[in-house]
Order: sequence, then C-alpha cells, then structure tokens
Amino acid sequence: MKKTLRTLALVMAVLMLTAFVAVSAVSCGESAKKIKIGVLVADASGSEAVSFRNYYKNYIEGNYNVEFMYSNELSDAEAETAAIENFVTAGCKAIISLSSADRPAQIAQCEKAGVYYAVASGVLTDDEYNAVKNNKYYVGAIGPSLDVEFVTGYNMAKWAIAQGMTKFAIYGAGVGYRVDMHIQRTAGMLAALCEDEGTSYNGTSDVGAIIGMLYGMGEVTPAGLVSDKYQLVGYHALWNFGDATWQQTLSSVVAAQPEVILCAGTGLTVFGQAVTGTNVKIADIDSFTDDYSIAMTNGTVCYLAGKYASSIGPIFAATLNAINGNGIKGEGNTALALGQTYWVATSAEQFAKFQSADTPTAPIFNKVLLDTVIGEGISYDTFKTFVDTDRTPKN
Amino acid sequence: MHNIESKNKVKNILIRTTGTLIIPVVVGLVLWIICTSNGVSMFPNDQSLTIFVRGVATVMLTTIALAINLNSGRFDFSIGSISILSNVISAQIVISSNGNALTMLILSIVFGTILGIVSGALYVLLKLPPIITSLGVALMYEGLAFAITGGSNVSFFGKTDVSGITMNIFWLIGIIIVVLAITIFIFDHTKFGFDYNALKAGQKVSVNTGIKEIGNAIACYAFSGTLMSIVGFLSYTYVGNIQVGVLNFGSIGIMFTAFLPMFIGGFIGRYSNDKLGYLLAAITMTFFAMSYSALQLKSSTQSIIGAVLLVAFLIYLNNEQTVKDIVTLKFFKKLFTKKTQD
Repeated sequence: MKKTLRTLALVMAVLMLTAFVAVSAVSCGESAKKIKIGVLVADASGSEAVSFRNYYKNYIEGNYNVEFMYSNELSDAEAETAAIENFVTAGCKAIISLSSADRPAQIAQCEKAGVYYAVASGVLTDDEYNAVKNNKYYVGAIGPSLDVEFVTGYNMAKWAIAQGMTKFAIYGAGVGYRVDMHIQRTAGMLAALCEDEGTSYNGTSDVGAIIGMLYGMGEVTPAGLVSDKYQLVGYHALWNFGDATWQQTLSSVVAAQPEVILCAGTGLTVFGQAVTGTNVKIADIDSFTDDYSIAMTNGTVCYLAGKYASSIGPIFAATLNAINGNGIKGEGNTALALGQTYWVATSAEQFAKFQSADTPTAPIFNKVLLDTVIGEGISYDTFKTFVDTDRTPKN
Repeated sequence: MHNIESKNKVKNILIRTTGTLIIPVVVGLVLWIICTSNGVSMFPNDQSLTIFVRGVATVMLTTIALAINLNSGRFDFSIGSISILSNVISAQIVISSNGNALTMLILSIVFGTILGIVSGALYVLLKLPPIITSLGVALMYEGLAFAITGGSNVSFFGKTDVSGITMNIFWLIGIIIVVLAITIFIFDHTKFGFDYNALKAGQKVSVNTGIKEIGNAIACYAFSGTLMSIVGFLSYTYVGNIQVGVLNFGSIGIMFTAFLPMFIGGFIGRYSNDKLGYLLAAITMTFFAMSYSALQLKSSTQSIIGAVLLVAFLIYLNNEQTVKDIVTLKFFKKLFTKKTQD
C-alpha cells in the first residue's frame, strides 16, 4: 500500500513538473518580446488594488507590448527590496510602485540595477523629491499629493458638518503605521472640525501641530477633541480583523452611535458589516467599485472620495516612454511630480455616473488617449496638460 | 482513619479547584480593577458579551487545533491557511447560491476537514519534518485562496447575510460546548484517543504494540482542520470579509496567538483536564483582549505585554519549584542553612 502511494505521488510530481515546464515554455515564448514592468503593491487584494491590477493586466497588456509582474503584498522595506530583486532578476525594465514603506531605498536599488522607477497613485515628500529629482532612473510620480490628501479629508469632514452632523467617529486606517496619506487625510478631518472657534484637538487648532501629533502618537485620542459643537465619540484604525481586541474597539465605535464615521480609507471593508441595521453612516476614501455601489445605494456609505482604475494610466505612459528612450523631464531635467485629485460622490446617482465613466473595457485613459503622449518628442508641458485636464464626468 | 481520608479528599479537591481556576479568576479580577480604576469597563456595550464569547471560542478552538499536533511533536504552520482557504471556498459557494450562515458553517467544516486530511497525508507521504511540510502546505493553501478569488478579498457586504451565527451568543456558547465535549470524548474516551496519548508518550513503543501511527496522525490533522475552519468562519462572518492577500506565510501569525493559552491550558490541565484548561486559558486571554480595548492600548503595547506574559509564564514553568520556594520562604531558609554550614 505504502509503495503504491509513493509511486502515485512520484507519478503526480513528474506530471506536475512536466506540465509546469511546458506551460512555462509556452508563456516564455509568448512574452519573449514583451517589455516587462514590475509593480510593487502594499495591498494585493483590496478593491482599489484589484481595480488597478485589472486595468494594467487586462487593458494595458492587451493594448501594448508590455507584461506586468506583480509583487506579493509588501508590508515593509525589506519585502520591497526582495521584490525589486525578483523583478530585476526576471528582466523587468522598469518598476511602478504602489508601495511606500521606503521609497528612497526603492529608488536607490533601481538606480543600482539600472531599471526605471515610477510612483503610481502617490507622490514623494518634498525632501525625498529633491534628493532624487535629477536621478536618471527616476521617472517621477503621478497621484494625489499629500496636500490633496489633506484637503480630501478636510472636505469630507466639512461636507458632514454642512449636512448638520455633529457626532463623529474617525477610522484612521494606516495612521498607526504612519502611512503619510492616511495621516494627512485624518489631519484634514480634525482640522475641519477645529475650524469652529470653540473646538480644539489636544489644546490646539493649528494644522501643523495636529499633523505632528498624528505622526508622533500614531493615533487619534477622541477625548482630545474639546468642542462646544462637536463630539468625537470613537476612534479605530488598522486591519486586525481576527483579533478580539480590534473587534471590540470596532464594536465600541459603532455602539457609541456616531452620525458618521469619517474614514481615511477602506472604511466599508472595516465597518460595512458592523453598521448594517444601524443609523451610523460611513464617509470614505477608496475607489468606485461594486461594493461601494451597493453601499451608496442602500445608504451605508454617504460620501465617497474615490480614485478610478485607469488613473494610473499616465504614469504607465511616462514609464513606457522612459524605457523607450523618450523620457519626459521637467524644467532643469527634473523628474515628473504631477498631482491628481479624487472624484467625490455623495449620492448613488452620482456614484453610478462616475463608475460608468471608467470601466475595465472602456477606461478613461484608453489607448487612444494614452497614445497622444506615448512616443518621441512629447514635451513636459504637453504631458502636464494631459495629466492636469479635469476628466470628472459632468452632470 | 476515615477522617484523615476525607480530609485528604477535601484538600485534594481544594487544590485541584484552586489550580484550575486561579489563573482566569486572578487575571479577571486584576484586569477588572485596572479598568475600573481607569474609569472604563471591560464590557462597555451590549455587544461586548457576544464579542467576549466569540473571542473565547476562537482562541479555544485555535489552541486545541495547535495543541493536537504540537503535543505530538508536529509543528503545524498550515492551520491559518486552512482557516482561510476552507472559508474562501465555502464563501464562494454561499455567495453564488445566496446561502445562509449555517450552510457556510457546514461547508467550511467539510472543506476544512478535507484540507486537514490533505495536509496530514502530505506529511505522512513525504516523510519530511512536519515544519517543512506544513510551511509548504501553508504556501500552497494561501496561493490557492488567492487564485480562487482572482486576488480579490471576499466580501459578504450586500451579497448575503452570513452573520446569523457569529452575532448570536447562544450559537457561540453552543459551539464552545459542543467542540469541547467532542474533543474530550474523542481524545479521552475512545480508542483513537488512547492511541493518540500512547503515541504522544512514546511513538516507537506504541507502534510496536500495534498502534497505527499513520492513521492517527492524519486524523489529528483532519480534526485540527475542522477546528480551524470554524475559527475562520467565526472571524470572517463577523467582520464581513476574508482578506486573501496574505501570501508568503501571512497566515501563520494565527498560530502564535495560541502559544500562551496552550501553555496556560497545559498548566491548568495538571489540576483537571487539559481541554478544560484550554477553555479557561481562552477566557483568560479574552479578558486581556477586552481590557486592551477598554484601556485603548496601542497594538504595539499589546504585543509587548503578550510577549512578556509568554516569557514570564515559560520562566515560571521551567523554575516552578524555585518560585514556590521563594514564595514560601523555603528558598531563603535553604540559602541560610547552606551558608551556615559553609
């Protein structure tokens, strides 16, 4: 019996190996002429991450002579280093990064390996940019700047205030991990509340001080908001879904019955189930996906500042140009640093309009549009106008 | 004579009861005092008790799942991945057929058991150290879960309501009682359990007496898989989604949460039953979880406290007699006597 099982296992192993070799050979043949681009991701399975991946893997790969290789979910700088090493070994000509644990280290590693590097859906800080803006291999960054992130959180809180809401909770997402964009968004929310004369956060209403506190403490203390007008009844952060402590804090936030939970990201994933059947609403910053469509329709989400999948199209165009020797540089031969903004939906109708404007088969940044900036002789001004053009679907 | 016997019996019962209950009772009391003195409650709202019971259920089941194999020298890193994959498969079926919570629980158990059997069979067939095999299995199951969903997290939101069991305290208590009763019955009152305990004590001797170690090991993996599928079900249906981006051993963290309760359970088991010990250890750990939340401790602080407690408890277990001697002053008496003799 044992011998039979061993033989069976051996036969299966040989078959699997043969199949693997055959499939690899075929796919290698297919992709031999394609330009490989590595993509670093901090989130591999969230709705926004999946919509970005589908755009690159399905639409861009189908229309351009490129092949995207995705990293696993990267949680720290060491993981980013290992992923870049893998990409370089696999023959990638460029790396597009959606992971921000240590961007200066990523750029240095890419320069050493002689591969181009670009930041999608985000930007470098001023100090980071100044250090690398003349680096030959740094293509640039296109995404919401940290100022835009701050304003997005600020606008969300201002909208809630304008609706007459006074009882809030905050979900800081990655504030505990010092994720820049989440800190800026959360600081924006607190700053909006602190604009009221009788309101302060930990004794101050100064924006810089609030941002400093968030970086220093890595959390929001609800008791720190002192106000005649507003209540901050709860705070939650991170994504420890299986942890009883985390679940209890989540439950306490909902049980405190805020009118709205202002979320710095992934709010529906975290609170969607917990607020079902209550009057608590979610205001969130994420993307225009089917889950949010349902949530906007049934009223669970009342406000969404979202990215659209093909918003990472322009950075692909810039990267492809760099690979082909047509790099686009700004004044003084500097790398790109261009901003993007969010679309904001406050009703199901508005959401539907935004969602239908950018679909997997008909994205906003489609081949026709991208081709206008891919190729030789594209000036910085032309490219900047291309990125800056407001593509928000009009009412 | 009869009097001495009954006195000994009472003393014995007192020692056993104290040894069994001292950790959860003392920890519960201390944490209650800390929370109260900080003006917060461990059970601040009407959902707290349900969350507490759910926490007890998940910790107890994870601890038993880990201990079954670890007590026999089999380090199983794949339990977290079984929890994810079994629920990903059942969730796909339930969402597509608009099924309910009970259907998902049953399907998760079926798939968890099958995945456990596969894990055990690979260990037996490959004859590699269990650490290596289970790491391989963990990678394979994590990858499969990712592939099945196309890389997207599984969300129940707006698709189907599977929270009926995890939101109901009576269901949760029922799960704890049934699992505990079945575990005690299987491992303490059946031939399989006797064989398991014999193999645990000495594999070579046991095999020589005719015990079939292969079947026993595979059955252990199967039971462990069953328990982990329930753990996954309880967690995922409560939060409403399954995160599948946990590739590259991202799923193995769950087993480390079970180490301290496993050691506490083993300690309590000396005075009563180790499975009951796992329940009481789970209650102890969930007291910590509830008080962390009430005191709004950062996750880094929680991790440090957890690590310190684990190390402190291991130090105690390895120096138990010395600690007892210090507490009863015998240690100093011995030291004094030795110095006098010198």
